[in-house]
Amino acid sequence: MTIIKDKSIIDDTWHVHQDDEPLLDNSIINLAYWLENRDSLKANQSPLGLLVEGDADIHSFKDDLSQFAIIAINIPAFTDGRGYSLAKLIRNQYGFTGEIRAVGDVLPDQALYLTRVGFDALELENEESAQLAINKLNDYSVCYQVG
Amino acid sequence: MYQYNDIDQTLINERVEEFRDQTQRFLNGELTEEQFRPLRLMNGLYIQTHAPMLRVNIPYGLLSSKQLRMMAHIANKYDKDYGHFTTRQNIQYNWPKLEQVPDILADLASVQMHAIQSSGNCIRNITSDPLAGVSADEIEDPRPYCEIIRQWATLHPEFSYLPRKFKFAVSGSPKDRAATQVHDIGLHVKKDANGQVGFEVLVGGGLGRTPVIGQVIAPFIAEEDILSYSEAILRTYNLFGRRDNKYKARIKILVRETGIDKFKAQVDAEWETIKNGPLKLTQKEIQRVKAQFAPFTYQTPASIGTASDQQENSGAFRQWLKQNTIEHKQTGYRVVFISLKSPTQAPGDITTEQMNTVADLADQFSFGQIRTTHDQNLALTDVLESDLLALWQQLSSAQLATPNIGTITDMICCPGLDFCSLANASSIDIAQGITDRFTDSAIDTGNLSLKMSGCMNGCGHHSIGEIGILGVDKKGEQWYQLTLGGADNHDSKLGDRLGKAIAKDNVVDAIDDIVHVYKEQRNSNETFANTYQRIGIQPFKDKVYDNH
Repeated sequence: MTIIKDKSIIDDTWHVHQDDEPLLDNSIINLAYWLENRDSLKANQSPLGLLVEGDADIHSFKDDLSQFAIIAINIPAFTDGRGYSLAKLIRNQYGFTGEIRAVGDVLPDQALYLTRVGFDALELENEESAQLAINKLNDYSVCYQVG
Repeated sequence: MYQYNDIDQTLINERVEEFRDQTQRFLNGELTEEQFRPLRLMNGLYIQTHAPMLRVNIPYGLLSSKQLRMMAHIANKYDKDYGHFTTRQNIQYNWPKLEQVPDILADLASVQMHAIQSSGNCIRNITSDPLAGVSADEIEDPRPYCEIIRQWATLHPEFSYLPRKFKFAVSGSPKDRAATQVHDIGLHVKKDANGQVGFEVLVGGGLGRTPVIGQVIAPFIAEEDILSYSEAILRTYNLFGRRDNKYKARIKILVRETGIDKFKAQVDAEWETIKNGPLKLTQKEIQRVKAQFAPFTYQTPASIGTASDQQENSGAFRQWLKQNTIEHKQTGYRVVFISLKSPTQAPGDITTEQMNTVADLADQFSFGQIRTTHDQNLALTDVLESDLLALWQQLSSAQLATPNIGTITDMICCPGLDFCSLANASSIDIAQGITDRFTDSAIDTGNLSLKMSGCMNGCGHHSIGEIGILGVDKKGEQWYQLTLGGADNHDSKLGDRLGKAIAKDNVVDAIDDIVHVYKEQRNSNETFANTYQRIGIQPFKDKVYDNH
């Protein structure tokens, strides 16, 4: 997997936490784990990330957004657009300023739309598709939508 | 009509290059069929029974003569010298080669046209009243709003991977000629007590497998809020619409399962957070677009002759004048429908030569503009009455003056099994059978809407035909389900099932039986809908099933 951010390939400093392993620094934990261990995790001083599915109910975690440095939204199939609206809500409505990362089934051809709805980091299958995604960010010099 | 500025043009040029790259990567094996499919669909490209099919958008059914000539050029250069107009005012080409599609798109872009979102699970072409701007009953011309919505919807980053397709229709008149009640969002232009322009918003209508009449979600949304309100509906649908079953993925199912009141509450809650944001339209922007749809400069009645001077010239002309033209808001002008339902062509089909002819006639007689209609015909909407005879003569020579608008032979018909990979049954040969049977009696029978789909996806809108025909598959054989009493006017209704499906060979006879019952039972000029309402379905049932 290769991560792009700001039109560049970056080193991924984050680790996706599995439920049965100890919590490391820079762990991305899933929503169920967060909801179950919220009180103890809030005491944790190291940066945390949150992994949610595209169809997650935003009301279950919207008040906790400030606890996280990164929100990763899983896109189960590239044709599933729920994550786009979820990212838009997290970014625009709830004012999250940290990283919003698209993970899962992400096509390079979707890079521009994803970045336009609030994602600023994308996980691509490999370096080649990551490079293609960076190129695809330059496909358009104009757009109709505002805000 | 709307003329592209630099931004509009740049956008579609860049879309052409993006699609060229995607097509090339698919042909090189760098994109799988599964990956390419949604990408090509979002640009109107299907893979059909015989070849790809490319659907090109005609926003709100308005074309310039230059654009129609380009349609003709494409039919000639890349296809088999014809095109097919659809019920959503678009045009389809049935025989392009995949590798040539990027070149077709480049040709389209050169005349400010595109195929963006003419298919796929995204916001489709915005359709409207084919008589927009020329109808006396109009509250406001709906086309500027259609254009504003078109721009907002085009390459929308958030709403390009919806659960299913999403269709808007906008009507500017109380008499709905845009079938807004059977669209995902239907908008009716309204004015409030202060004269403020806005829209009554309907949601959750649609045809297809589960036909539903849309419900009012908001009685009045002011014009400046129409984008933010639409965005709130789309976001709610995108988040909550079903994705587990494509046959339950349209917004109509979400609205039904959620309940209109709760759905409205969800939309309103979302709208509250965005209504005063950047989507709020300024008067400057509304006026910028409106200015591009300013009425033509019409001649004054005193300076022009009238058609009645010419009526003695020909019985055939008089028949055409009565059947294929209607009144215009401007005295001295008429709206002329060009029938694409001649006995020799499949419904909605038009040849290269005919397209060029219509473009020339539009230049000569109707300010260089052409409309496409939901009934798969064309219209020249601004013709001087004194020009009608000359126009009719030229249309007649081009087989474009079949005097059957609104009659049973002016039927709506999908491409059916002959072209479409979804279809269960053929439509075009049934259409031909009906045309052959009724050509001589169509005018005498009077207006009667017949709509036919080759499968339950309902592209031929059978559910809202006064007579509907639906092709079904029964153990590998083609059968047809008939419905009666549907309507697509301001009071849309879904037709009632007549009875069990009918074998292919008996369909035309069954339609004949239905027409006979109507003609026997009607009171003087009573419409089919009124006769049907008065006598019910039983007499039709008896006649059709006793005979077969």
